[in-house]
Amino acid sequence: MKIGILSFAHHHAETYIDNLRHAPGVEMIGLADKDQPRGRHFAQVFNAPYFDSYEALLNARPEAVLVCSENSEHRPLVEMAAAAKVHVLCEKPLATSPADSRAMVEACRKAGVKLMTAFPMRFSTPLLEVKARLDAGDLGQVYCFNATNQGEVPAHLRAWFIDKEFAGGGAITDHVVHLADIMRWYLGSEVTEVYAQSNRIMHAATVEVETGGLLMLTFANGVFASIDCSWSKPNYYPTWGGLTFELVTDRGAVLVDAFKQVLTVYSHSVGRARWASWGSDVNQAMIDEFVTAIREDREPRVTGSDGLRAAEIVAAAYESARTGLPVRLNKTPARN
Amino acid sequence: MKVGVAGVGFMGTTHAAAWATIDAQLVGFCAETTQEAAGLAHTYRTRVYPDYAALLDDVDVIDICTPTHLHHNMVLQAAKAGKHIICEKPLARTVEQGQEMIRACRAAGVKLFVAHVVRFFPEYALAKAQVQAGQIGRPAVVRLARGSYRPKKPVGNWFLDFDKSGGMMLDLMIHDFDYARWISGEVESVYAKNISTAHPESATEYGIAILRHAGGALSHVVGAWAYPPPTFRTSLEIAGDGGLIEWSSDSTLPINLLLRKESADAPDVGLPGSPLAESPYTTQIKEFYAALKTDRPTRVSAEDGLAAVQIALAAIESARTGQPIKLARLPEVPA
Repeated sequence: MKIGILSFAHHHAETYIDNLRHAPGVEMIGLADKDQPRGRHFAQVFNAPYFDSYEALLNARPEAVLVCSENSEHRPLVEMAAAAKVHVLCEKPLATSPADSRAMVEACRKAGVKLMTAFPMRFSTPLLEVKARLDAGDLGQVYCFNATNQGEVPAHLRAWFIDKEFAGGGAITDHVVHLADIMRWYLGSEVTEVYAQSNRIMHAATVEVETGGLLMLTFANGVFASIDCSWSKPNYYPTWGGLTFELVTDRGAVLVDAFKQVLTVYSHSVGRARWASWGSDVNQAMIDEFVTAIREDREPRVTGSDGLRAAEIVAAAYESARTGLPVRLNKTPARN
Repeated sequence: MKVGVAGVGFMGTTHAAAWATIDAQLVGFCAETTQEAAGLAHTYRTRVYPDYAALLDDVDVIDICTPTHLHHNMVLQAAKAGKHIICEKPLARTVEQGQEMIRACRAAGVKLFVAHVVRFFPEYALAKAQVQAGQIGRPAVVRLARGSYRPKKPVGNWFLDFDKSGGMMLDLMIHDFDYARWISGEVESVYAKNISTAHPESATEYGIAILRHAGGALSHVVGAWAYPPPTFRTSLEIAGDGGLIEWSSDSTLPINLLLRKESADAPDVGLPGSPLAESPYTTQIKEFYAALKTDRPTRVSAEDGLAAVQIALAAIESARTGQPIKLARLPEVPA
């Protein structure tokens, strides 16, 4: 199966290219990038064929593409891929607005191609274990979550991450979707109301988007959940950040730290403690699922609709942060 | 000075132990029944007073360690009798009661201290000092959590009576509401959810509150009566524009007992808390007592106690209505 990568704007492309090369039966055909110097640079770094344009890559007849552009560029690239009848795995967040997300879902549905949103935490082995225990009824009835997806300010990875025009926003855009998606998956219930507060105290001198954010989600089944999406970890923290939650049930609580499977490494060359992960590779599992879903001609485990739902929650969070009031989500059924 | 302790539950017992370590004269106790107070009176070789009025008669300072709903009347009575007062948190069951208590103490010229002991716990005091010293810059997002199991009392479990205690959000979360305000200043709005609003019969209670402070900082405050006994866990995280402070009781226990039981039916050996040279409760009582004797300021005032009650009640109101609650500025009580 031939798969290419559209854009290396997002640093995750640097991981996915290796994941593609390790996926059985996949031929990684190369990459294209609107930013030609960036594209050529990464083509050289990863010893990959380079296409001068997205059209040229699509003309090479891949069966699927990965879209790893700036968030604001997801929609045109996904629509271009759909028009070429090519399946798409799109980096998260699916888009910077529900309208764009909906258009992308529609375009792929009409073209008859699969659209998967890159929510790798769905493939986290600790989170899968909790899901299995939940479904088996071992943990009791869920009442609420107290969750964090905090990180360092990502500006050093790519400058556009803190540019509202390209990213769509700051910490809320970056760090709400993973947990919102995990909770929807765990509960099988949709978010009906969002309350959010945000601020820009951390990194105020260098960042124009929000860097601090606290959300409260309410689900149709009555479960409530807070999410701390702040860019509150210093860039000298032992790792980039993390994803944790306390899941509270009628029987007590379950404490989950998705990135706890680490070594603490002290290297003279770094001069501070670093956490080195030995947990299972979520990205490889996600890429493998994308490939398998295409091969078996079934829906991938995470769809475009899941990305759309997350985008709606993010949009509601921004509206709530602006007005100071909880925002109701209107429940139009999503199709993929 | 002569000190009496009203109430002989966990807090009365803890405060008595603190009084016993300093140069105050602990004269005795009162409780609902004289029988209940006998044990403590015996331990400290003091008297059991037949009632609150009799105890008040005999003291310079009254330490009120009774259920929350009783604080209002007992403080008014003590103020009328011209006695200085230490009142267990929460200061009062309602904001109006708290205001009246502060006014009455001002008018009577007696001091009123509220026992927000978390400010005296060394990890919390150190975090405050680090913030004050500018170690992490201006606080931006603060996370505070405190969790345990549903309070157990063999009889008269007033903690579980909402009218008396205000429930978990007033009784337990008030600690961290006060601390959040100490770190980040006045609170502008509160949005909160809890389990008991939708599931009043559940054995699990868990509350989450999002505070917005007037200066723009945000606080995430969690309280739990949810874990299996004897769990008691707390944590704090203060992220500022110049750094980050993290602390959790889970990960900083200096002693971890991994002892096999001597026999199958032997009781579990209890887990120790963090061993300290001085109990935070003693640090607190000492500071209040020094303030009484020398007029020194204390790190927590009655007005702080009142502000914490206001935040907690707003959180309860928010959980009940589903709406964020804006906090009115409380009028200053003239000195």
